[in-house]
Amino acid sequence: MLEVSQLRKVYGPDPDGEPAVAGLDFTVNDQEFVCILGSSGCGKTTMLRCLSGLDRPTAGQVTLRDSPVTGPPEEMAFVFQDYSRSLLPWMRVQRNVAFPLRYKGLSTQEAKEATDEALTAVGLAGSGQLYPWQLSGGMQQRVAIARALAYKPRVLLMDEPFASVDAQTRAGLEDLLLDIWQRYQITVLFVTHDIDEAVYLADRVLVLQAPASVRRSVEVSLPRPRDQLETKQLPEFGRLRAELYAALDAQTAPA
Amino acid sequence: MNWSGSSAPERATDLASPSPSTGRAAAAPRRAPRFSDLGLRIAGIVTVLAILEIASRAGVLPRAWFPPISEIYLEFGKLAFGWPLWLEIGRTLGGWALGIGIATLCAIPLGVLLGASRIAYRLAKAVIEFFRPVPSVALIPLAVLVYGTGLEMKVFLITFATFWPILLQTIYGVQDVDPVARDTARSYGLPPLARFTQITLPSAAPYIATGLRIASAIALVLAVTAELVVGAPGLGQAIVVAQSNANPTRMYALIIVAGLLGWALNSGFQAVERRLLRWHPAQRQEAGK
Repeated sequence: MLEVSQLRKVYGPDPDGEPAVAGLDFTVNDQEFVCILGSSGCGKTTMLRCLSGLDRPTAGQVTLRDSPVTGPPEEMAFVFQDYSRSLLPWMRVQRNVAFPLRYKGLSTQEAKEATDEALTAVGLAGSGQLYPWQLSGGMQQRVAIARALAYKPRVLLMDEPFASVDAQTRAGLEDLLLDIWQRYQITVLFVTHDIDEAVYLADRVLVLQAPASVRRSVEVSLPRPRDQLETKQLPEFGRLRAELYAALDAQTAPA
Repeated sequence: MNWSGSSAPERATDLASPSPSTGRAAAAPRRAPRFSDLGLRIAGIVTVLAILEIASRAGVLPRAWFPPISEIYLEFGKLAFGWPLWLEIGRTLGGWALGIGIATLCAIPLGVLLGASRIAYRLAKAVIEFFRPVPSVALIPLAVLVYGTGLEMKVFLITFATFWPILLQTIYGVQDVDPVARDTARSYGLPPLARFTQITLPSAAPYIATGLRIASAIALVLAVTAELVVGAPGLGQAIVVAQSNANPTRMYALIIVAGLLGWALNSGFQAVERRLLRWHPAQRQEAGK
């Protein structure tokens, strides 16, 4: 599905300089939910920018369904951490969700249907005529998710999407995302620095080390559907969390 | 990449500072004022007018130069009901509009180019910094030499003076597009032209609006100055004529007209901004949540 091979990214003119991503290799299967876990500054964002086609890698390759990614692919949607800047303040919620669809070749009617469906899916059917800044942070991020959904991607890339909302809202958004992921059968690549979040959401957690390369791949075999209370009380949840904690800690300890 | 320059003295942050009586502030409970705000304002104005009136009539101010304020307003009223005043206003506004119009047509496209291209901006920066500080009135002799003493001279001066604030605000606006917004548009596959119309222009709009509002005030000053100094027809010339005809009452009445004109233009711009840029933080009537 999504294959990353020997990905290397160096910022600046010197290709042999200090890399932000070095020798990154992994594969994400169709309809898999993969969390990328790494401490801040380990190149998670750079990696995502290369995967999404926003940045060109210095070396290596990203392939999506057997075709190399050279620019933002139509089958991919990106949800940014900073929803307040990713949503455009001069567009109402409805238009914020709908504006990319025109460039995907949808008719006005199709775009409207896709938008309404996506807004309903995130529970914001009645908020289309509001401006994003009239909504709370959690609702704004739901609009951003709706925009990604309406785009009907195969792969959803998410860059610490819930890092700047409060814990309560965050739990709600996690469950919403899991629900959407199952309902729409999409592939999700979710970057986070939160161990609990990674274990709770993922089929598989990849632990990144700086400069971004995969240190560890951990399968999460917790039963689905997951539940904020029950899942997190399972002994397996605690074991996975400890394992990931150790993996993260081992790499940050020397620093 | 966001490389919005460090030399940005006129960012759009001053865009019509939100009035404290709107939005949340109005909803917040506060003690009932003893006098209404409007009442206090009117009382202030009336007090100043009364002091001026008395000072003039009592001879504290020499009456030949400071006629009683009541006579000035009487004259103002008479002028307002005659067409010559409106003709002069029209002449002044004609120069104002033509000058700003030409400046806008030149400055916005150039500003977009300079804002979008780092190389073009660096090339142009020194030139802009050389021309921009030139006080426009210093060009009056040149303008008279080339264009004579009529409308063209006035338009030339106003165009020159208003070109710079509009240009710089446009550059800043285009440079200041949020990189996350830009990435969002790119990640959804918007082609370059669509990114320009959907992202760049709307984010630059508040900056450009501020540039236009600054330009409007500068243009009025220059129009009146050109009329005063050179004698181009318009309000400024009418003020000089009243003065040289030893009619200070009319002179003051015309000065009041010029002041009101400036106020009306500024209010007009603010009203348009409020309407078109209601999404901008400075214009928002409702806070988040």
